[in-house]
Amino acid sequence: MTHARRLALAHFWIGFIAFAIALVLGVWQMWVRSPLPAPFLTASTYFSSVTAHGTAMAYVLTTFTVMGFGYYVAETALARALPAPRWAWTGFWLALAGTLMAVVTIFSGRAAVLFTFYPPLIASVFYYIGLVLVVAGSWIWCVLMIVAMGQWKGANPGRPVPLAMFATVANAVMWLWTTVGVTLELLFQVIPAALGLKAQIDVGLSRTLFSWTLHAVVYFWLIPSYIAFYTMVPQAAGGRLYSDTMGRLTFVLFLIYSLPVGLHHLLMDPHQSNAFKFLQVALTALVSVPTLLTVFTIGASLEIAGRLRGGRGLFGWIGALPWERPLVLATGLAFLMLAFGGFGGLVNMSYGMNAMVHNTSWVTAHFHLIFGGTVVIMYFAIAYTLWPSLTGRAAPSLAAQRLQLWLWFIGMLVMTLPWHYLGLLGQWRRVATFNYADPIIAAWGPWVIVSLVGGLILLVSGLLFVRNLLQFAIGRASHVPAEVYATAVHPPLRVPAALNGFRLWNVLVLVLMLLAYGYPLAQFFIIDPPGALVHRVDQRR
Amino acid sequence: MSTDPLDRPWRLWASVAILSVFVFSVLFGFVLLPIIQGRGAGLDAFESICRALGLRPGSPAAPQPASEAKAQPTTRVAWSAELMQALDRPSAIGAQLAAACTACHGKDGRSVDPKLYPDLAGQSAVALYKQLNDFKSGSRLSAVMAPLAQPLSEEQIVAVSAHFAAFPVRSLPPAQMPAPSEAIERLVARGDPTRAIAACNACHGEQSGGPPEAPRLTHQGAQYLSAQLRAFKSGERRNDIYSRMRNVAAVLSDSEIEGLAGFYSTTFTY
Repeated sequence: MTHARRLALAHFWIGFIAFAIALVLGVWQMWVRSPLPAPFLTASTYFSSVTAHGTAMAYVLTTFTVMGFGYYVAETALARALPAPRWAWTGFWLALAGTLMAVVTIFSGRAAVLFTFYPPLIASVFYYIGLVLVVAGSWIWCVLMIVAMGQWKGANPGRPVPLAMFATVANAVMWLWTTVGVTLELLFQVIPAALGLKAQIDVGLSRTLFSWTLHAVVYFWLIPSYIAFYTMVPQAAGGRLYSDTMGRLTFVLFLIYSLPVGLHHLLMDPHQSNAFKFLQVALTALVSVPTLLTVFTIGASLEIAGRLRGGRGLFGWIGALPWERPLVLATGLAFLMLAFGGFGGLVNMSYGMNAMVHNTSWVTAHFHLIFGGTVVIMYFAIAYTLWPSLTGRAAPSLAAQRLQLWLWFIGMLVMTLPWHYLGLLGQWRRVATFNYADPIIAAWGPWVIVSLVGGLILLVSGLLFVRNLLQFAIGRASHVPAEVYATAVHPPLRVPAALNGFRLWNVLVLVLMLLAYGYPLAQFFIIDPPGALVHRVDQRR
Repeated sequence: MSTDPLDRPWRLWASVAILSVFVFSVLFGFVLLPIIQGRGAGLDAFESICRALGLRPGSPAAPQPASEAKAQPTTRVAWSAELMQALDRPSAIGAQLAAACTACHGKDGRSVDPKLYPDLAGQSAVALYKQLNDFKSGSRLSAVMAPLAQPLSEEQIVAVSAHFAAFPVRSLPPAQMPAPSEAIERLVARGDPTRAIAACNACHGEQSGGPPEAPRLTHQGAQYLSAQLRAFKSGERRNDIYSRMRNVAAVLSDSEIEGLAGFYSTTFTY
């Protein structure tokens, strides 16, 4: 086994173990919020659990999966050995040590600040240092991805970088930009406060810095799914990628329009002005461009596959697709969830509607549907696709994989659709328990229980996923694994430098970031507003 | 690479496209929208643009609301980082002033009669500071404490609070600890959502995220604690910000008040 494959397996397993543990916590949290009596409930266990669930799902599962997938792509798409594997392992151990440090701190009850931190709440410093180590590990990955692409371009002058690698490097470049915001917040505000060096913290500044990271981080999680859509799904469906250029444009647009848009998370925050909120919402709306490009391109690619398989008529090709293949099935289910989630997202980014749903369960339901649904179901499908080549064994049962994907889809809709509705009824988020003796709140009860049932289906599906991966151990040894990457209808022979690298786009991101975030950040130093008193959650005064 | 003829139009047109969208959004959001909104609110163009950009306070869509309402604070205490730091430093002034307190609260802050007077030893300095301030301002009424607190200056209140906070708490004889009832433990750890009672520990617990002035309740006499809860319940004591304690005490039964007082008076941690 090559280094990249061992690396990929190690990363995927850490991510999936964290995922399985966080899933159990998630179900318990749904239970606590329901009218049914739940065990182990105190406010502090609930918020510690939410912190652990969010940290594991949003930072550990995602970062490790993205890194593992990247190492696999770098070796297979470029068909060369990974540069500096020792550094890659350093990044792995760094991120793993950070994960353990953060998790131990959370479970000792010293970090119940939720995964988005919420200063002036301040947790034990070990929680934040743990997360910084995870990010530091991922930075090593970013540099390795950029170096791998650079070395390949050096060895293949004038040739287009394979789309899978181009997209992976787009994600690495975006991640480097993305993490600047939260890193500044942690290093200059939160960690000094956690160490007791600062008694006050400027919450407006920290929220603005976090918003810089908060939207792009979602695209960092999402891009592996899009890489699978463009480079693996057409192949799995037995067709070709409709357009390689569309793919490049999509990833470039994600890089540009993921960053100068974070203020739309602060629409209800008083410390940013209407004009800058408007500007960033307008830029947010442009993310519809790469999304629609993708829906169109992948739709067209699947249509090619469907027609090659004998599908006829306007919609006949849909039925002709090989839905029995897990990756194709997952793509269909992911697109359905993307449609629901995208609609919810449009509500969130609209100022007036955001005012109505902002502090309600609508928001929580939205990000579970779009991240837990669209993104994570593709993580499953990616794992199923790569496992034969990573383990050298064939899957013992595709039916078990399909069942798992269907359960995830059904569970996610059963959980999140009532959850959205509860948000519209006014159910607030970030709350452990509700007074179901109140007649208005009592009416929420049945929907919360439906939501909990969805959570239980997700738990069954998640455990089945881990079992399916373990089952590979008993699968028969497979000889040379099948090609995973799709060929384009017109394979690119030459592409403009703009679509073969990131120099131009980095300059444009820099310009947009200066314009969109320059004054919103600078105002805190010009006006010098009063800080909030640091509020430690790990000890009393 | 920059000489590639394929690339030049890309650089130009990508920049033009991205910057035009940006310029359009700026014109719309920074100029057009505020002017239109401001017109409806009777604001001139300059004022509404300044408001939209956050250079002046207020919304470009509404005239600044004018209110004649005067705040009537429950307490006159305001927290600052400097004050919190000062409360962490015991001083010689504090020790001198403390002589006036010893007749009731004991030399080391251990009450001479825990039924009537609270222990000050090991109490949070922040909590002590707030109570002394409230006795001084009249937010908390006490015929005994008011005349003692009124002559104290701000610095003296800080000093005496920091002084008593530095003493170790009274030691409790473990053999006499009764087991608390399950219902009381639940109130302490989980509260009662059906009566809108938050867990006591949400503010008074060892790792609480509650307001800084929440006092430590352990190592106090049960009679003193229950007297305070009853005073909150009747509204006789009213120096709790946002009526937090009055709201909770109002819905506690008398037996719960006794049970909670007993729980905290015989508990080591929390």
